[in-house]
Amino acid sequence: MEFVRNFPFISIILSLFSGPLSSILDRKKAKWWNMIVIGLIGAMSLAVLMYVLGTGEAYVYTMGHFTAPWGNEIRVGVLEAFMAFFFCVVMFLCMLGGIREREAEIEESKQNLYYVMINLLLSSLIALIYTNDLFTAYVFVEINTISACGLIMIKQNGRTIVAATRYMIMSLLGSGMLLLGICFLYGITGQLLMSNIQEQVHRIASEGSYHIPLLVSMGLMSIGLAIKSALYPFHGWLPDAYGYSTVSSAAILSSLVSKGYIFLLVKIFYRVIGFDIVMDSKVINVLFVFGIAGMIMGSIDAIRENNIRRMIAFSSIAQIGYIYMGFGLGTTEGVVASIYHIVSHAATKSLLFVSAAGITDVSGDSTDFFDLTGAGYRNKLAGVAFTAGSLSMIGFPIFSGFISKLLFAQAAVGHTFKMLPTLIALAISTILNTIYFMKTVIRIYTPMRKSRDREKKNTVVRMTDQPLKSAALICFILMNVILGLRSETIVLMIQNGLKMFG
Amino acid sequence: MSGLMILSILLPAAAGIFLLLSLVFHRQQSQAFAGAVLAVSAVLVLATAWLGGGEKSVTLFYLMEDIPIYFRVDEVGKLFATIVTVVWVAAGFYSFLYMKHEGMEQRYFGFYLLVYGILIALDFSGNMVTLYLFYELMTLCTVPLVLHNGSREAIMAALKYLFYSMCGAYMGLFGIFFLYRYCDTLTFAAGGTLNPELVNGNQGLVLAVVFVMLLGFGVKAGMLPFHAWLPTAHPVAPSPASAVLSGIIVKGGVLALIRTVYYLVGPDFLRGTWVQTAWMTIALMTVFLGSLLAYKEPVFKKRLAYSTVSQISYILFGLAVMSPEGVTGALLHTVFHAFIKSALFLTAGVFLFQCGKTRVEELKGIGKQMPVTLWCYTIVSLGLIGIPPFSGFISKWHLAQGALEANVGVFRWLGPAVLLISALLTAGYLLPVTMKGFLPGKDSTAAAEKLEPSRMMLIPLIILAALTVLLGLFPGPLVTYAGKIAASIM
Amino acid sequence: MSAGFMVVAILLPILAGAVIPLISFKNRVWMEVYIETVVLITSVVVWCLILNRPQEAFVLFRFTGNISVSFQLDGLGSVFAGIVATLWPLATLYSFEYMKHERHERYFFLFYVVTYGVTLGIAFAEDILSLYFFYEMLTMVTVPLVMHTLTREAILASRTYLYYSIGGAAFAFIGMIFILSYGSTGDFVPGGVLDAARLGTERTNLLLVIYVLCFCGFSVKAAMFPFSAWLPKAGVAPTPVTALLHAVAVVKAGAFATMRITYYSFGTEFLKGTWAQNAVMLLTIITIIYGCSRALKETHLKRRFAWSTVSNLSYILFGVTMMSPLGLIGALAHMIFHAVMKICTFFCAGAIIYRSGREYVHQMDGMGRKMPRVFTAFTVSALALMGVPGLCGFVSKWNLAKAAVNSQNGLAYAGLAALMISALLTAIYMLTIVVRAFFPGREFDYGTLEGISDPNWQMLLPLALFVIAIVLFGLHPEPVLQVLRAIAAELH
Repeated sequence: MEFVRNFPFISIILSLFSGPLSSILDRKKAKWWNMIVIGLIGAMSLAVLMYVLGTGEAYVYTMGHFTAPWGNEIRVGVLEAFMAFFFCVVMFLCMLGGIREREAEIEESKQNLYYVMINLLLSSLIALIYTNDLFTAYVFVEINTISACGLIMIKQNGRTIVAATRYMIMSLLGSGMLLLGICFLYGITGQLLMSNIQEQVHRIASEGSYHIPLLVSMGLMSIGLAIKSALYPFHGWLPDAYGYSTVSSAAILSSLVSKGYIFLLVKIFYRVIGFDIVMDSKVINVLFVFGIAGMIMGSIDAIRENNIRRMIAFSSIAQIGYIYMGFGLGTTEGVVASIYHIVSHAATKSLLFVSAAGITDVSGDSTDFFDLTGAGYRNKLAGVAFTAGSLSMIGFPIFSGFISKLLFAQAAVGHTFKMLPTLIALAISTILNTIYFMKTVIRIYTPMRKSRDREKKNTVVRMTDQPLKSAALICFILMNVILGLRSETIVLMIQNGLKMFG
Repeated sequence: MSGLMILSILLPAAAGIFLLLSLVFHRQQSQAFAGAVLAVSAVLVLATAWLGGGEKSVTLFYLMEDIPIYFRVDEVGKLFATIVTVVWVAAGFYSFLYMKHEGMEQRYFGFYLLVYGILIALDFSGNMVTLYLFYELMTLCTVPLVLHNGSREAIMAALKYLFYSMCGAYMGLFGIFFLYRYCDTLTFAAGGTLNPELVNGNQGLVLAVVFVMLLGFGVKAGMLPFHAWLPTAHPVAPSPASAVLSGIIVKGGVLALIRTVYYLVGPDFLRGTWVQTAWMTIALMTVFLGSLLAYKEPVFKKRLAYSTVSQISYILFGLAVMSPEGVTGALLHTVFHAFIKSALFLTAGVFLFQCGKTRVEELKGIGKQMPVTLWCYTIVSLGLIGIPPFSGFISKWHLAQGALEANVGVFRWLGPAVLLISALLTAGYLLPVTMKGFLPGKDSTAAAEKLEPSRMMLIPLIILAALTVLLGLFPGPLVTYAGKIAASIM
Repeated sequence: MSAGFMVVAILLPILAGAVIPLISFKNRVWMEVYIETVVLITSVVVWCLILNRPQEAFVLFRFTGNISVSFQLDGLGSVFAGIVATLWPLATLYSFEYMKHERHERYFFLFYVVTYGVTLGIAFAEDILSLYFFYEMLTMVTVPLVMHTLTREAILASRTYLYYSIGGAAFAFIGMIFILSYGSTGDFVPGGVLDAARLGTERTNLLLVIYVLCFCGFSVKAAMFPFSAWLPKAGVAPTPVTALLHAVAVVKAGAFATMRITYYSFGTEFLKGTWAQNAVMLLTIITIIYGCSRALKETHLKRRFAWSTVSNLSYILFGVTMMSPLGLIGALAHMIFHAVMKICTFFCAGAIIYRSGREYVHQMDGMGRKMPRVFTAFTVSALALMGVPGLCGFVSKWNLAKAAVNSQNGLAYAGLAALMISALLTAIYMLTIVVRAFFPGREFDYGTLEGISDPNWQMLLPLALFVIAIVLFGLHPEPVLQVLRAIAAELH
């Protein structure tokens, strides 16, 4: 057995235990240690990815060689490894891009705590991705929730505390439903390991017994995770949580945390219940409708919003809607598109959050839309980055958003009844996206009168003034373009990964 | 021969453009130049029309693969070209003096010559597209003649004229598009070129289209319901321009109608259809209404313009009955009306030029001041009313005959009746000028000094009046000629 | 010629344009020389390509699987590329003089030159995705040009432009996906690529709905009613932009795209005689009248011409919706001729604004005597737009009419009537300006026009060439029409 096989487990443990370390180290060192950990885990995930691509099949890693049902398993396929790697990259860049704000906004004494939270978050995300055990998944979902709360609350003002409380309540509701769903499933199958449950579920389904408990369990798990990932009618907690927390938190929350849950849902669909059974149930139709509603309503809310951060947050709701709509199509192509969108949205949304921070930075730290006038000239790189992110969001070719739109549409075309609604919803959503993103882009390139410029104490930031942030932004833009131009490899990887799931 | 034809078109047009572009001419020079060109091209036109026999045609170039710009001298073309030439020369020489008080003579003569060339081209057009081309150019180039005096009223009138004409032209063009498909060719051929196989099953469409064309080209001829431009536009132009507008340009519409009905669609296709009925109805209504409006009109030139509305529809009625006699009458009336109406407007010009009088009631006692002019006026008026032995009688006689002999139901007697009533009205609106002019009554204070215009203006008038008398007395050759044309296209 | 030259023609202006702000020119003249050289070289390459059409396609890069950005030059593309390649150098020449009175010239020329490359990309696109790709790019690179003056009005206009364009593209996207899924290939093939077997009979209505959506989407750029409001607003851009982009390149790209999807993707065989054909045709007919009526009401010179463009673009679309080879000929003819006429009109308007600062119709009184050359050109283009025979507008109108009459479709007859009404309205809104300019009335005081005169050769040369082209095409359109007939002949 190659050593590489241990990497996923090592990643989780490394991240988990670097938490305490971060809390003892002094502030500067903790920061760098944190970066190094993320980098290391990223590198390990890449190695795992290469390995899995090389062998061409998934492997199961049993912790301490205790076999199921007593032991705990990790399962590694192409998709898992890729996701872990990608999450690390995004997280690294988010941390890099948000350094300045973090250090300015968070009390010095609390900064170590921030890194602890980040470590916990990372470990739970990786665990969610790799685990082959439903209950372990639940445990890490809870860890994830708590650390996410910490990330929101760490910038201590009234708003973030309220936001964190709301997030906590909604998240726990979601976790509770997930737990209930798992219990039901355990009740009818008697298993907790994913592959074992699947066998049982197939048996049950073919016998035709326990039809309703299975459906209820599926519904509970879907809705539970949907609440946690802010699907449309359950999104109330999101705008404040993303809108007022510190930049790196917002970027990480929107691009990684919610995506982690969605990825878990994919695993549940494919690995736990079996995709054909999910497809037969009506649950996906519910997700489809909610998804489309989210696409439209999220954008409409965003249009009405005058705070740029909250606007981006609302846009997340719309994008989550896209992802659920992809699931709702009930085809493998749809799921491929959704997973691609997870990737593309993660890359784009973090870019938007970080560049928005750059823009507000030169506008007297105001997030108000009208104060941003001319910001694109004051911070050129942030302006360009924001424009690139916006273009990607509206599905402009050469950026990643276009490919996800393309994949969604292609997935939809195969479907008899859902085709036209999907296509039209995509078109309308594109228009709505255009309205609020391009409005902002044009706003930041509208010159402000000189006199007003001075009176507002706007500053000018050059690329070299904040090298780390600039580097992060450039990486993000490149990532978007690469995803947009070289999407074929990634799509193939997703397809292979899904095959390995089955 | 074809070279001569092209030259007769190009010479006046080129000379006109030259006059417009060269701003260095002295007043006399420009007049001399215009006069010379006018004379030479008149000779050229007449030579093209009447000298030499055989088919005189020339294809200039192909606009599109099957659409040439093509000229051909045929009988109708000859007739129209001759009328145009006579009136153009007469009014042209009249203008030399008259235009003194209008100013901007060079521009005037430039456009005057240009329009002459265009009209000759229009008359000699051998197919519908060529005709349409010059029809549009005629409209565009006469606009400066209408707005010549530059007053706000004139400019607005010119625009009204322009847009009405354009509207008509486009309605015509709309029809041409359809005829292009349903006719074998757009080249004129006596009796029509409609392809019965293609038309079969689409009669309704083709009829509707022809009706649209009739209305469209009827705009230029002042036919209801698009006659409103005529009384606005003709009077504001300088008098010699009004003379040619009312005498000649409106005939452009008549020519287009003749070409459409008799040379493309063919009278056989239309005879007895609702289109014929509608056309006759409209023509008669126009005849009557035009006269009525003229009768009520106090401004002299406007009265004449309304008279034009009425008189042109005499011609249209003749064309609409589609009998040989009717067409003969229509062609004769085209000739006579051209001379008479020009003469009438030229007299109106004399009144305006010599004593600035524009309204009918101001003309009391004018006969004492300028007897020759008023005599000319009286002669041509009688001609227009249709009193023998003056020319108008001949044409009206044929028109009435045509209606009677044609198989057109109620119009057989209604037509002549309306023509008669209209003739009475014509007398009613034209003769009072003569009567008041010669017999102003006792209380008239008009001075008896002689105000007769100079010979330059008088001679054209006298010539036109003489033509009215002569053609009335010896109509033989002309009637035969018109009859020949009518027979050939039936 | 090798297919690789297509990429040269596209990338040269894009790259050479993108570096304009980075180069330090000794003075303005050097910049002018640089830009004109780039544009001219590109145009020469394009014309060489058109004359020696490469047979093979060229794949620039692949997105996924069968989806790639690739180029292939066919007849239809050559026509569009030819129009663009001919007009661009002239418009550039014109803009050198015009842009003297605007600011930030370099950024202007950056986007102006880049747009050239992107437009060529649309013309060369081999398949529907490449077309869509460059179509979206076109929106983005032209927004800064609309915004150029950075006034409040310009900002609002660019926003409107952007919303409309991207919204249109979003619906066009639907059609693209449909073609990619149900066509035998995404490439443009004369006669269409839809695979009847794959489509199944029961989905015909779906096909038609999607066609209508896609047509409407692409014709947003061609300013079809009810998506036409952006075009007149975008008239706040500097005149070279309005003239070249909003009368030719951008809007014709929309019309070009509708031709592509109608004749080369969906295929007329599926569409002819269906409610979808009537629906889109009705929209174009409404636009023809609507555009003219708005032009009539508008007193701002450039906006009036913009509305006129709206109407004229729908002539092209009307030809497209006839769904017959004749219709395509008419549409293409109008695409070429309208380009020449309208750019001439706009350049006249630009010259007037540049020399006198007068922008409204009622300020045109007496200008004909002060700027005789410009107004002569204007008169010629006005007459051509009205469709006076002997000028090129008549030729395209004739061909459109021919198609309409031969279509045996009642709605097409109505469209023909609309064409005539539109011609009349055109006469009204154009000739009032001419009459005002040349015949201001006898009380007019020319003293108020002190100091106004014809512009210099850089502005007059393009005008003169356009006038010559208008007359030449009007009198001898046969060579052009033969090319168009050859294109239409491929459809069978």
